[in-house]
Amino acid sequence: MITVRISFKKKNEASYISLLDMQRVMQRVLKRSGLPVWHTLGFNPHIYMTFACPLSLGQESECECVDVKTEAEAPDFAQWKEALNAIMPAGIEVYNVEPMQMKADLIAYACYEISYPADAAPVLAQYNALESVPVEKKSKRKTKTVELKEYVPALELHEAGEWVHFPICLPASQDLTLNPSLLVAFLEEKFGLPAANANILRTKFLTADKKAFA
Amino acid sequence: MFDPKLKEALGRVQKPGRYTGGEPGSVYKDKNNVDVRFAFCFPDTYEVGMSFLGEKILYELLNSHENWWCERAFMPWLDMKAEMERLQLPLYTMESKDPLTDFDAVGFTLQYELSYTNILAMLDLAGIPFYSKDRDGSWPLIVAGGPCACNAEPIADFFDVIQLGEGENQLPGICAEIEKAKKEGGVSKKELLLRIAKIPGVYIPAFYDVTYQEDGRIEAITPNESGIPAKITKAIIKDLNEFTPPTNFVVPMVGAIQDRASIEVLRGCVRGCRFCQAGFLYRPMRQRDANLLNKAAQELCSNTGYEELSLSSLSTSDHGQLEELLDDLNEWAPKEHVSLSLPSLRVDNFSESLIEKTTKVRKSGLTFAAEAGTQRLRNVINKNVTWDEIEKTCRIAFKGGYSSVKLYFMMGLPTETLEDIEGIAETAQKVVDLYYSMDHAKGRGVQVTISCACFVPKPHTPFQFVPMDTAETLQAKQKHLLESVHSRKIKVNYHDSTTSFLEGVFAKGDRRLAPVILEAYKRGCYFDGWEECFKYDTWMQVFEDLGVDPRFYCQRPIGLDEVTPWSHMDYGITHDFLVREYNKALAAQTTKPCNRACSGCGANHLLGGPCFDYSQNLV
Repeated sequence: MITVRISFKKKNEASYISLLDMQRVMQRVLKRSGLPVWHTLGFNPHIYMTFACPLSLGQESECECVDVKTEAEAPDFAQWKEALNAIMPAGIEVYNVEPMQMKADLIAYACYEISYPADAAPVLAQYNALESVPVEKKSKRKTKTVELKEYVPALELHEAGEWVHFPICLPASQDLTLNPSLLVAFLEEKFGLPAANANILRTKFLTADKKAFA
Repeated sequence: MFDPKLKEALGRVQKPGRYTGGEPGSVYKDKNNVDVRFAFCFPDTYEVGMSFLGEKILYELLNSHENWWCERAFMPWLDMKAEMERLQLPLYTMESKDPLTDFDAVGFTLQYELSYTNILAMLDLAGIPFYSKDRDGSWPLIVAGGPCACNAEPIADFFDVIQLGEGENQLPGICAEIEKAKKEGGVSKKELLLRIAKIPGVYIPAFYDVTYQEDGRIEAITPNESGIPAKITKAIIKDLNEFTPPTNFVVPMVGAIQDRASIEVLRGCVRGCRFCQAGFLYRPMRQRDANLLNKAAQELCSNTGYEELSLSSLSTSDHGQLEELLDDLNEWAPKEHVSLSLPSLRVDNFSESLIEKTTKVRKSGLTFAAEAGTQRLRNVINKNVTWDEIEKTCRIAFKGGYSSVKLYFMMGLPTETLEDIEGIAETAQKVVDLYYSMDHAKGRGVQVTISCACFVPKPHTPFQFVPMDTAETLQAKQKHLLESVHSRKIKVNYHDSTTSFLEGVFAKGDRRLAPVILEAYKRGCYFDGWEECFKYDTWMQVFEDLGVDPRFYCQRPIGLDEVTPWSHMDYGITHDFLVREYNKALAAQTTKPCNRACSGCGANHLLGGPCFDYSQNLV
């Protein structure tokens, strides 16, 4: 039995599917596809799946993945991709299917592209002059203060038509995960840029030594 | 990326996935290549609307026409409604995200009287004038169908077209007339309505005048155009096998309430329970062939990926080939990890083999509708179920490993006394006692839930003549029920009597209620069916301010010879039959199910022959 990694983009409509809903959607899509994916044993057998690094509701991604298992010999992965894309909900596009290479726990960083309406550019530039950006990270048990400047020292702004974009890279490991919404919420609180106007797109994952995760 | 305004709204609301569409199974077309655009509106939330089978039937049917595009719209929840108003986002459909004003026709389904204000809210959000008379041909045609169409008089003035009966032929007929008129060009709204009026079951409210007597009762309802019938006869599909149940569903991604594959095995009901409006509206009972159902079910499951299949109807165990169908389904369902559920079982023909066939994969609680607590009252309402049958059924269920039973009852039924209310508690107690008298898993207790609704008299039923209990009486009965329950194994749920009162008013209301409903909406009433949104005091104030007495509609006995607001609607049931059944009810006499003996309701005329072959030995 091998583990197969299905890599997909999650954009537009699909960015509003929560992780919990995504599991059900994927379960049904895989079932519909008729692909030879492995079912768990037990009283209520279901398709075995694991998602790497959950994405927050409303954020988009170019690098999501779900791992499934198969007992098929020499599966035709190009056909898997085609079969899945034919029935995916709008906004999800499978771009790669292949045997898993790296385990998901090797992910150390997630990179994002944040976009605002172009008129936000001068305001965003003010971030770079700030000495310190303390933000509160809430988890189930406790709230701790994180210095965002440590991870995002400056915003490299690129204006493109009606939008201004900038890339950021945040920790996404079991020890520490920072959600880009922390930065967006800070920008709303500090500069009055409505968080609802920001578009957050996850672009890639990196390993601890900042190599591409595959 | 979405329209920035929409994106902003989505960023601020709970469960934004309800407003984005794109679900597997949703249909996308190029709007430049379609001739008719139809917006199917469900006047409640996405989660409720996506559970509705009728929408799935018509969505698939309309979209099977290449040049028509049927899309969906729902009532946005409070937070989204506020955001849309703030950002001036007009109500849009899930597929194209185009505003409702871009459509040729906007159709609402009338499932529940307390969703009427949501219809106004949806029109308002779309910027569409409320009253039909205020909309010229440049506006979409506003149409409605569904069970409440049987007396949609309280909201009739808001609609251009109301469809009585079954939509499978009727709605495509309307779309075809719209297409034809668009291609001809220059067809006035009135001319289009005159053409549509010729389609069976179509009711154009503007073509009828209603006059009233001095005491407030209706004097007459008369057509005001030539060629318009005095009575509209509902549309019916004579042979259900001509319409395969939908084999593609839009599969919701944000938890719908009924999130499973579902096939309609039969339509109508043979039982003739006198309180049940659906039992009269959908006569005669017609069933689909087991073979066709099995194929459709398998196709539906493979198209949707659902792991649960429900066999739905008003009374699934009355299907003549049910055991055969379950055997066929069990050939493939367990292999494909699909479990079967039967939502509408009857206590009186529930068998051991039936329970075995439905629980191969998963076991859940059992629900039975006993409806009344004593045999006398069950005879009054013609719910021909006896305690022996309830006992037998529970015995089978407990033996089969079930330990939770839900019993449905109504209170406020005609001729009901406090003794009947005590009977509800006694029935539940007897079920508890039965459980403990049998072998049961050690330490495993039984849970009996009494779910008690308030009876609302509905048009086209033998109880349409009956006044509804007042809120005070209902509350006293609810209190008495609670006092009559003496076991912690019995849980009692009951329904709010004030919402039932309003439901009763609208159910039997007339056109004079339209301004009341509009005014209530303007004062902030919508989502009336949701307890947290229901503003009873506002409603009562509006009735008072507009000088309309709500009790006139539902708490007054209706004379057997009175012209009712729905007397121009013909559902195939004769008035004489309703009177006959009403008198039998008062005498606590029962009537046999239609497949055993014809009671002469008149609905056989809709089929043009007898409903059943009585020479055969039927279940």
